[in-house]
Amino acid sequence: MHIRSLIFVVFISFLGKAAHAQYNCEWFKAQGNMVRYQACLEANKSNEFYQFSKEFHEVYDRVMEMDPTWALPYRAKSVSYLKSGDFINWKKLIDQAVAYDTVTYLGYRAGCRFQFFRDYTGAIEDCLLLKKVMNNDMGYTANGQYHLDIVLALSYKALGDPNKAIETILERHHEANYMMGIFDMLHLGVLYAEQGDLQKAKACFEKQEAFNDLAENRYYLAMVYKKLGQKKKYIEQLEKAKSLYTIGLKMNDPYQAPMDKIYLKQIEIALAEHF
Amino acid sequence: MIRMLLMLIVFGLFSCNAKTEFKPEYLRHIGDIVTDSSLDDADFELCGEEDAVLQYFNFGDSDKYEGERIAIYDYFQEHYQPVSIDESGWIRVRFIVNCHWQTGRFRMIESDENYNERPFDKAISNQILELTKSLKGWIGYENEERGLDYYQYLVFKIKNGSIVEMLP
Repeated sequence: MHIRSLIFVVFISFLGKAAHAQYNCEWFKAQGNMVRYQACLEANKSNEFYQFSKEFHEVYDRVMEMDPTWALPYRAKSVSYLKSGDFINWKKLIDQAVAYDTVTYLGYRAGCRFQFFRDYTGAIEDCLLLKKVMNNDMGYTANGQYHLDIVLALSYKALGDPNKAIETILERHHEANYMMGIFDMLHLGVLYAEQGDLQKAKACFEKQEAFNDLAENRYYLAMVYKKLGQKKKYIEQLEKAKSLYTIGLKMNDPYQAPMDKIYLKQIEIALAEHF
Repeated sequence: MIRMLLMLIVFGLFSCNAKTEFKPEYLRHIGDIVTDSSLDDADFELCGEEDAVLQYFNFGDSDKYEGERIAIYDYFQEHYQPVSIDESGWIRVRFIVNCHWQTGRFRMIESDENYNERPFDKAISNQILELTKSLKGWIGYENEERGLDYYQYLVFKIKNGSIVEMLP
């Protein structure tokens, strides 16, 4: 395949180098925590380096030596291990971050266990502890795609408890001022469809369509129409799924395939199948 | 004298551990793989420079495999023979894809369900490594000036000798 965009690669490298803003070290100084203030000034030197690079890690090694109980450098160093699939070193580092700042990093670890390693048991453990600590409001994953209650629910589903998954999602959706996640209704619809509750599934996929129309909600809606014996609507939804997929309107994540994602091959097989 | 020697050995061991834990010898990037003639196929060559190998996610969110990731899942479902053994955890196989759609420098890490490093039975790990090496659909990239290389990996979640999840 010929890629014309070296510029894109250069741009990505630039983004990697400018991965975070400067930390506000003055806050530590104002608190009288001069050890952390000095460590923070050192941490700000990482800004000019790519997070995978030797130089980036050397900066944070120095930060850890200066202030060994500051969670931030452990978390900062863990990211490149996470993105390179090194679950062993990632876990060692993120555990340290969680040990030194549980409230800030427990939810982050839960989201990573779910997204990067499909560690559903570990994600549930982290979420349930965080719910207790945070009076039931865990907040969202680092990429903003999910409220952590949805992560908890999907982990229940993966471990074979779809009813608990549905209950957990609905509980969160009923909260006042809840900001709907970009895939929430899709996942809920799939859960209902798998339970055979086709009307509720259909309603969820239609809500997903209105909120964030993707190839996936069209595909799963087609499957509902198939079960309802409505061939014309089944074909229509599959064709719509294919066209959305082709223009990139599908579940996306640069690092991992999200749960309930579908692929072009699945749409094409469904289209070719006899109804 | 013997006590002193023992103390020195123990101190030495702790020093080594501390170095491994907090001050590892870094390569250019985390996850880089140095070529090793005892492990690697001599025919595999990078298209670009050693210090220019990218990461799979540097190309955006497009699938890097012909037929998309589902083709890899299907391949393993078809070819992996589950091993009846009480072993669970994760295996990662990391490697490089060059601009000629070739793969090389395969390296593996293995852990139990608590992320503690430990090897799986060879009937599991060798099978996964060989099947990963046999995948032929990794997409190679190039720009106007040169071919590009990138690091790719596959993580396998193993439950009692069976593959239950594949990532990314």
